[in-house]
Amino acid sequence: MKNRLMCHLIANYPDFNKSFEIAEALARGGADSIEVQFPFSDPSADGPYILKACDIALKNGFTVDKGFDLVRRIVNITKLDVFIMSYANIPYTRGLESFVKESASIGIRGLIIPDLTLNNDEGLIELGEKYTIPIIPVITLTTPQERIDAILSIQPEYVYAVLRKGITGESTEITNENITFLKNLSQEGVKVLGGFGINSREQVNSLAPYLFTSVAGTVFVKEIEKETGDMINRIEVLTASLVTDQSTTTSKGGDFSSSINICR
Amino acid sequence: MSTMVKTPNKEGYFGEYGGSFLPPDLQPVMDEITKTYNEIRNSPGFQEELTALYQDYVGRPSPIFYAKNLSKKMGGAQIYLKREDLNHTGAHKINHCLGEVLLAKKMGKKKVIAETGAGQHGVALATAAALLGLECDIYMGEVDIAKEHPNVIRMKILGAKVVPVKSGLKTLKEAVDEAFGAYVQDPVTQFYAIGSVVGPHPFPMMVRDFQTIVGIEAKEQFSKSPGGLPDNLVACVGGGSNALGLFTAFMDDESVKMYGAEPSGKSFKKGEHAATMTLGKPGIIHGFKCYLLQDDEGNPDPVYSVASGLDYPGVGPEHSYLKDIERVEYTTVNDKEAIDAFFELSREEGIIPALESAHAVAYALKLAAELPKDKTILMNLSGRGDKDIDFIAEKYGEEYGIL
Ligand SMILES: Cc1ncc(COP(=O)(O)O)c(C=O)c1O
Repeated sequence: MKNRLMCHLIANYPDFNKSFEIAEALARGGADSIEVQFPFSDPSADGPYILKACDIALKNGFTVDKGFDLVRRIVNITKLDVFIMSYANIPYTRGLESFVKESASIGIRGLIIPDLTLNNDEGLIELGEKYTIPIIPVITLTTPQERIDAILSIQPEYVYAVLRKGITGESTEITNENITFLKNLSQEGVKVLGGFGINSREQVNSLAPYLFTSVAGTVFVKEIEKETGDMINRIEVLTASLVTDQSTTTSKGGDFSSSINICR
Repeated sequence: MSTMVKTPNKEGYFGEYGGSFLPPDLQPVMDEITKTYNEIRNSPGFQEELTALYQDYVGRPSPIFYAKNLSKKMGGAQIYLKREDLNHTGAHKINHCLGEVLLAKKMGKKKVIAETGAGQHGVALATAAALLGLECDIYMGEVDIAKEHPNVIRMKILGAKVVPVKSGLKTLKEAVDEAFGAYVQDPVTQFYAIGSVVGPHPFPMMVRDFQTIVGIEAKEQFSKSPGGLPDNLVACVGGGSNALGLFTAFMDDESVKMYGAEPSGKSFKKGEHAATMTLGKPGIIHGFKCYLLQDDEGNPDPVYSVASGLDYPGVGPEHSYLKDIERVEYTTVNDKEAIDAFFELSREEGIIPALESAHAVAYALKLAAELPKDKTILMNLSGRGDKDIDFIAEKYGEEYGIL
């Protein structure tokens, strides 16, 4: 059995056609789902790698229309589950309802807008219900239990679990704290997408039992940035390596903090 | 502090603006700041400590000065200056920095961090941090570092670390982005002391509250004059802290008209101004909703002003609300008008204003010329211009006969 993996890509990065080819490479490499980030110039939860990639995507003429076109193609051609991620001002400027409606009509599996949160969502959650498209709340290690309870009480289909403090792009150490956090969440009958800083097969393996799917993002941006060889092929190989059979590595028992940090 | 504590609501909204749009790991930290602030804002201990610092350290109350020469020259309304430029560190920013650093200290934080544009907020924060024994990191765009050199040196002398920001236009917006990024890394030991009435709840409310002392004093000082109340208030608006500082105490006095001057830079072309309220539309940036200069896709526009403290694509949520309900009128002043006013105030009254404040001076002069002699204008002279003199000499020296 291979690990379930959701791969993150930035729409229009490095350009429109390449971002579609990257999606195809992710599919060939064995990804289960793709998270397409619509770039915003001031992404408050992202680190320097994704920030820079978003800047390039914007400079190369990203528009929300192009973003939807890309997602439509990815859904139709790869047949994978696709999620759209962006920051509040992008859907807000489009008109939240129009954004949600169009997302739903394309047949994506959910929307992740990290800075539109329960009670500060500008009506997003209600629109998700209206157009039957999952709105995916983000939960972190520092989210208070009360808040987690409030989020779970609206019965989301998925939650996005952030496994490290801070911004994207730094390495994540998989600690017992992470595992307990994920165990508790997955017992709630919600599909847990877990990410931030995942960059090795070992990490995917150690998280897999507690997740619906692992999410890897910055590791791909870094791979795209490298200037050697055939980038599309490298992406496919990287995806395949992250997705490999769980039984090929032995579990290290309870002590997950010993798993290595490759992303440096 | 009685009447103006009407807004925001519990969630931090001023009408539809404000709120808190943050990645989820920051929200618990913001909630804790709100909770602590609400606990201590009216506690006698905190108020006494702050009041004592305002008096003995900042030199409050700052005087109101009647600008007789300028008023005479304009031939219309009488112009009065609230002298925030005389504060320790040379601007109004020290008012909220002392409040923020006191709060950070009460919360057990080790370090305060912030963005700065003109360097005034950075200097004020570094000062308050030095006084109260906290570490201080200031994020500043490289363009502003070059332009505001004296303030960079001051921050360093005060023991702060100045972190150069190299992304994008290398000015205020990017400095906020990077300070935000650093904050998210460690919101537990650090405190992000935002430099204006912007950002997520509770900052627009809290920074305003710390600045209201300006208007409270001014109202008291003005009450001794014949009319009792000024007819007009004028302030420049970047994020909007000095403007709300002056306006808030007069909010319920219907006879008092209020004007906010935004920078229209070189022109109204995209990228050449920062006239947020004049040309922006509602959007969400840096954790709050406000009028925002942005493109059709929702990405903030590049902005510019000759005054480094005014070139921000957003504006305080309370200002956005005050615009909609038409309590405050927002107007624009361009670079040329601001520079003219900078020299006008220097040469007529012997007061060199900050380039930011020069925008308020320019509008006050315009307004004075239009009004009869028996009307009064009280403007917030938010800061002094020492920090700007090298830049002025280099850019405008020949034109104004300095070089
Ligand atoms: C002297 C002075 N006035 C005004 C401003 C603008 O800020 P605000 O609109 O928050 O008062 C600044 C900002 O750097 C400043 O230094």
